[in-house]
Amino acid sequence: MRAASITFISLALTTAVVGNAFYLKKQFYPSVVYITKSNPSMAVIYIQALVVVVLIGKLMQKVFFGQLRAAEFEHLADRSWYAVTETCLAFTLFRDDFAPRFVAQFILLLFLKAFHWLAEDRVDFMERSPIISWLFHLRVISLMFVLSLLDLYFVNHAYLSTVSGGASAQIVFGFEYMILLMIVLNIAIKYVLHTIDLNSDNPWDNKAVFLLYTEVVMGMFKVVLYVTFLIIMVRIFTLPLFLFRPMYYTLRSFRKAINDVILSRRAIRNMNTLYPDATPEELSAADNVCIICREEMHSASKKLPCNHIFHTSCLRSWFQRQQTCPTCRLNILRIPGDRNTAANQAANAEGQAQHAPDVPPVPHPGLPNPFLNGVFPGMFPFWQQQFNLQPPNQLPNQAPPPTGQPGQSTQTNPAGQASTSVTAGATTGTAPGVQPGPNVMPVPPFPPMPPGFGLPFFCPPFPPAPPPFAVPPPMPPPGLATLSDEELRRLESAARDGVAARLQCLQNIQQLLDAAVLLMQQYSNAAATASAASVTSVPQPPPSSSTSPDTGTGVATTPTPTTSTTPSPHVTVTSNTTQNVAQAEEKQPSVSLSPGSPSSSRSNEEKGNSSGLTHSIRPDGSGPSSSSNQTVTSAPSPEQDEIRRRRLQKFSGIPESLD
Amino acid sequence: MAGSALRRLMAEYKQLTLNPPEGIIAGPINEENFFEWEALITGPEGTCFEGGVFPAKLVFPSDYPLSPPKMQFTCEMFHPNIYADGRVCISILHAPGDDPMGYESSAERWSPVQSVEKILLSVVSMLAEPNDESGANVDAAKMWREDRAEFNRIAEKIVRKTLGLS
Repeated sequence: MRAASITFISLALTTAVVGNAFYLKKQFYPSVVYITKSNPSMAVIYIQALVVVVLIGKLMQKVFFGQLRAAEFEHLADRSWYAVTETCLAFTLFRDDFAPRFVAQFILLLFLKAFHWLAEDRVDFMERSPIISWLFHLRVISLMFVLSLLDLYFVNHAYLSTVSGGASAQIVFGFEYMILLMIVLNIAIKYVLHTIDLNSDNPWDNKAVFLLYTEVVMGMFKVVLYVTFLIIMVRIFTLPLFLFRPMYYTLRSFRKAINDVILSRRAIRNMNTLYPDATPEELSAADNVCIICREEMHSASKKLPCNHIFHTSCLRSWFQRQQTCPTCRLNILRIPGDRNTAANQAANAEGQAQHAPDVPPVPHPGLPNPFLNGVFPGMFPFWQQQFNLQPPNQLPNQAPPPTGQPGQSTQTNPAGQASTSVTAGATTGTAPGVQPGPNVMPVPPFPPMPPGFGLPFFCPPFPPAPPPFAVPPPMPPPGLATLSDEELRRLESAARDGVAARLQCLQNIQQLLDAAVLLMQQYSNAAATASAASVTSVPQPPPSSSTSPDTGTGVATTPTPTTSTTPSPHVTVTSNTTQNVAQAEEKQPSVSLSPGSPSSSRSNEEKGNSSGLTHSIRPDGSGPSSSSNQTVTSAPSPEQDEIRRRRLQKFSGIPESLD
Repeated sequence: MAGSALRRLMAEYKQLTLNPPEGIIAGPINEENFFEWEALITGPEGTCFEGGVFPAKLVFPSDYPLSPPKMQFTCEMFHPNIYADGRVCISILHAPGDDPMGYESSAERWSPVQSVEKILLSVVSMLAEPNDESGANVDAAKMWREDRAEFNRIAEKIVRKTLGLS
């Protein structure tokens, strides 16, 4: 309404001015001269020109876009405001050239910019709407065609005028249109990608990657353009203030694009190296719906260390943002790269899942059950095999396996903390009387790991002890072929800490060997005497409270063979055995006890929810946000209790229906 | 094939239409644009918001479900966890990393596992049990703590207003 009245007034004014001129001068040329000489007349004519431009713009918008959406209109308003202020800044720079023609050129530029923004928004909209009509395609294609032609023409015009007439404000226009041309190119690439995606029957997984690289390449072009522009402007004119905001935003988005590409590449690499593909059995066993996109998984799915399965492409785009499992928020980067068999990894993960009661594990019937032999879950899977193969009384052969394996098995997850304390408690050979308390301690669901603790290196068995080196070399993998060059270099690092780490590793091996020999001697003593005279009572020496972390270093893993080779917990011990042996035996129940609690918690979880869907909405209906309220609010009165109970009933049905 | 965000939103819409949770209605405002939804939430029973029907708008980012949507009540609200302009401040709607109130643990933040349904259920439970530690609306939080009767009175007024009774 207001626009119509303004148009009408301006039209009336123009008519009046022109009519007046003709009335006074009677002829065409004199009246034109009269109008151009008279300032009020010219002002009216300028206003009329502006109105005409706006009207043409509206017409173009109707032709190419139809009705603008609210979001598009908002974008347009925001960006126009900035563009206008920048144009005013540019005017200050070229105040000598200030002329109607110059202003007109700037207005035209603004106009074309607005159309570029709208085109960008429109193409982005393609991803959002389920209905893309042929009219949409026609409009976008023709718009891009027209815009690119106009941009090319103006770039050419600016170039020719600069070449012929020397440096002038045309440089600014030339660069602006170059950048607009880049934008058109970017839009066109996006449009092509979206169109291909829309017309294919299957989801196109790599589209996101293509878009990322497009962003980087285009960002690079733009940055180069801006920097050249800036340098030229500084050399010829002065510091172009109006350039800084767009340049800053371009640099920022370029940086973000590069960052995204780096993160994406890392995610892809992790995906390809660290996580196994989900097997068809696993896919059919679990819920078989990718929780990220809510679609069925048929192929190209990955299993995380926490046993949750997702589409590879969904997982990749999530890992670009965060390196956690979407379901249980296990930080996947803290789990060191396990390049051994998938089974070992799964066993570790299973152990971890047992210890995080909040994590509903996805059942995997195909996995070996680490509880079978009463060994701590996920710990020392290789030891188990090794010692099951060998007769228990071959003393020298009981040396620990190459440190690669204990290194792998002491990979620290929440289970690792508890289990290392168990083994520490059982190191009676050198550090007698460690309290067996820690092994029954509940493990917090997701404790933050100390940064160095999760590295694939043989850590000392005492959890509080700081890791010996900030950057230890990676564990030797089974085959060197899987290592990248960079990792190989790290492995053979001649730097001080690399050498020190290797030395420490060797010392650990030596200590392990010594401890193993000592323990096996005691064990054979005990076994010999036990077979001679069977005594049912086990002496219970009082556990001394103190232990020195230093002496126990490296011996931690040795008692585990005893637990695995002597499956019966009631080994008979004579009274004349040494105190050490007695203590070693005393520890045994505690070792075999520890898997009990996690397994029970596991069964509870399996009874409850195994899909992992309900982990944030608790069955009581109180969302995660309000979980802290219950302690804050004042003591509940009986009727509040009643209310809460009713609400509980009301919402308790919902999570099940989700599943 | 449409974009993954769009497909997921359509799947959620279907799910919400087929199995609507009690007291919640939600769906796109316009079927041409699945990224703006409208939701109607009924006030939980036994609370001061009982009986009210609260309209809200959900705006989804183009990378949904990797980023959380934004939710804003379009009616007048007076609640410790709702800003004066109707924006909802609950941790499930915050991506890990941005923490406007500085107290939320990342375990209760947004992740792709969440859904529109869970957000709305969380909002229902937020209506029932405000968290006065994170004061999006400090006045409301203070009143909730210190003058519950007055808070209930204002809530009732808002309920009546949403029903068009006053």
